Amino acid sequence: MRILLIEDDKKTSDYIAKGLTEAGHICDVLADGRDGLFAATSGSYDVIVADRMLPSLEGLSLVKSARAAGTRTPVIFVTSVSGIEDRVDGLEAGGDDYLVKPFAFSELLARINALGRRPPPQDRQTVLKVADLEMDLISRRVSRAGVEIELQPREFRLLEVLMRGTGRVITRTMLLEQVWDFHFDPKTSVVETHVSRLRTKIDKPFEVPLIQTVRNTGYSLRVGG
Amino acid sequence: MLVASGLTRSTPFRLAVTFATFLIAAFLLSGLVVYQIVSAELNDRVDEDLQKTFSLLSAAYGKDDLEDLISSVSSYADLSVGNEQLFSLVGSDGQPLAGTSAIRGFVAPLGFSNVAAGSLGLGGDVAYRVYSGKIGPNKLSIAYSNDDTDELKQLVLSSFAWAMIIAAALAVSGGALLAARVQHRLNTIAQTMDEVSRGSLGSRIPLVGNRDDIDAVASQVNAALDRLVALMEGLRQVGFDIAHDLRTPLNRLRITLESALEKADTPEIIADLEEARSDIDKTTQTFDALLRIAQIEAGARKSRFQLLDLSEIVADIGEIYGEVAVDQNKTLVSRAEPGNMVHGDRELLVQLLANLVENALRHTPAGVAIKVSCQNLEGRKVIYVEDNGAGIPADEREKAFRRLYRLDASRSTPGSGLGLSMAKAIAELHGAHISLEDAEPGLRVTIVFTS
Repeated sequence: MRILLIEDDKKTSDYIAKGLTEAGHICDVLADGRDGLFAATSGSYDVIVADRMLPSLEGLSLVKSARAAGTRTPVIFVTSVSGIEDRVDGLEAGGDDYLVKPFAFSELLARINALGRRPPPQDRQTVLKVADLEMDLISRRVSRAGVEIELQPREFRLLEVLMRGTGRVITRTMLLEQVWDFHFDPKTSVVETHVSRLRTKIDKPFEVPLIQTVRNTGYSLRVGG
Repeated sequence: MLVASGLTRSTPFRLAVTFATFLIAAFLLSGLVVYQIVSAELNDRVDEDLQKTFSLLSAAYGKDDLEDLISSVSSYADLSVGNEQLFSLVGSDGQPLAGTSAIRGFVAPLGFSNVAAGSLGLGGDVAYRVYSGKIGPNKLSIAYSNDDTDELKQLVLSSFAWAMIIAAALAVSGGALLAARVQHRLNTIAQTMDEVSRGSLGSRIPLVGNRDDIDAVASQVNAALDRLVALMEGLRQVGFDIAHDLRTPLNRLRITLESALEKADTPEIIADLEEARSDIDKTTQTFDALLRIAQIEAGARKSRFQLLDLSEIVADIGEIYGEVAVDQNKTLVSRAEPGNMVHGDRELLVQLLANLVENALRHTPAGVAIKVSCQNLEGRKVIYVEDNGAGIPADEREKAFRRLYRLDASRSTPGSGLGLSMAKAIAELHGAHISLEDAEPGLRVTIVFTS
């Protein structure tokens, strides 16, 4: 993917750019808000990573202006501005995701991957398929190798998030936000417990496990370790 | 509620009662003085009248002219109606010469004296004022009934009594009215201070605008509150600045550690670097929590409040943490009748309940039962989170809400000491009161939504 990084702290931008390049992406770095807006509206990027406190043009205004100019490129804010209302402000300004510094690079990478590969709204699938696992989003049925599997509503949602991100890493934090609507870090094993319950239904009765654990980061749904 | 229970103890009421008592005492005293003056004056007048009548009659006496005197006394006696005025003329030998037939032959000692009706041979209990003097060799006694003066004295007394009753009634009711008005204003002050202590720092005592002493005190209290709020705002700003400015270096530090981890080749160095990284993450989490608490206390997100069902949140929490409890060999049940609507922030209320349930899960041994419930108690929505674990000692319950406070018993378990502070801040943002109680055995957290 082609990624635009607008970040004025050189150490941070070097680190992100290096990581993204190693992960096979192309990364352009800009340190100024106005330059960033100009590049963002060019339409040549798959994902924009923007800081909020930037010289010459503040991050929120940058994204608002880009959206007003018709840019639809997904934007993730990576910022020190971490107030309780700031995430909502970021999303309302047109951001698609919000990550607070300091962060683990794996978290940022997982979120960039999720944003960049998001299917366009007009291309909504009604049936998700991974190997022999099938999820019907309309009748809300799940089956594996033709065997119907009963899931609780929350387990269904968890599996849906994992299946939509097939082959990619879904971090623990992403799961908490998307499945449980938790915007804080629980001190107990909420995610682990529910993933384990899901595994006993989806993987245990079958030969090949689909839900993989990604150490220190999260989970991934794919065939084979 | 303050008026009903504390009326007899309230200063304005006491002032009113004291004032009424003084007023009544003053009326009694002045009544007594006036009565004494009036009665002395009336007695003097009777004496004067007696002497005047005596001198008029004695003027009718000429030398050896007893007839004129007898006829004068007789006509005076005849004119007197109903024993008001009595006359008795007695000769030198003591024989009755003229006068009121009822007291014929009555002789009083010379000068003034007081005689009761009985000793005059008359009925009733009227007292008489008597003047007796010599006219030639004869003796004339004139007795005036005290009826009229007694009546006047009675009138003075009763008019004072009425005036006193009216004055006392006015003093008591006026005092009560004034006391109630002052009490009302004192209550407004008490209520405002109560609101402030409950966290709504924007509350101010309303001023009447008449620049009286209560207004003066109220505006001073308001000024002190303004200063307090300004100080707290300043403190918060410093907190935010520190958090923001520390975040950038922490971020750089974390990046340095990540880069070092990539280059590290021995397991010992990797372990050390990973530990350092996890310490940074913990520090960041504590910063985040402190910042969030400060912002919630400052009233953040209140403008985004929406009508939501507490029971739904309770049920969600029960569903999410039920399985977590099972994994720890504990049980967690939730019970809530739907329809406990409040205005609030769903995300924050979820965090509030999650914090409480996680506390219950983390600080209890295996085998405990945790219960989360939501009830409607006479219009007040109440959430309970209770367990049957070891509980918290009574003297530590209030302290447990303090930031970074860790109970002695929980020092060995991981945690930031911010969960309950956060819960309290969120509860108070919603106008709810949170308290810790003994669940006998165990801990019960009660959150009462008042608004």
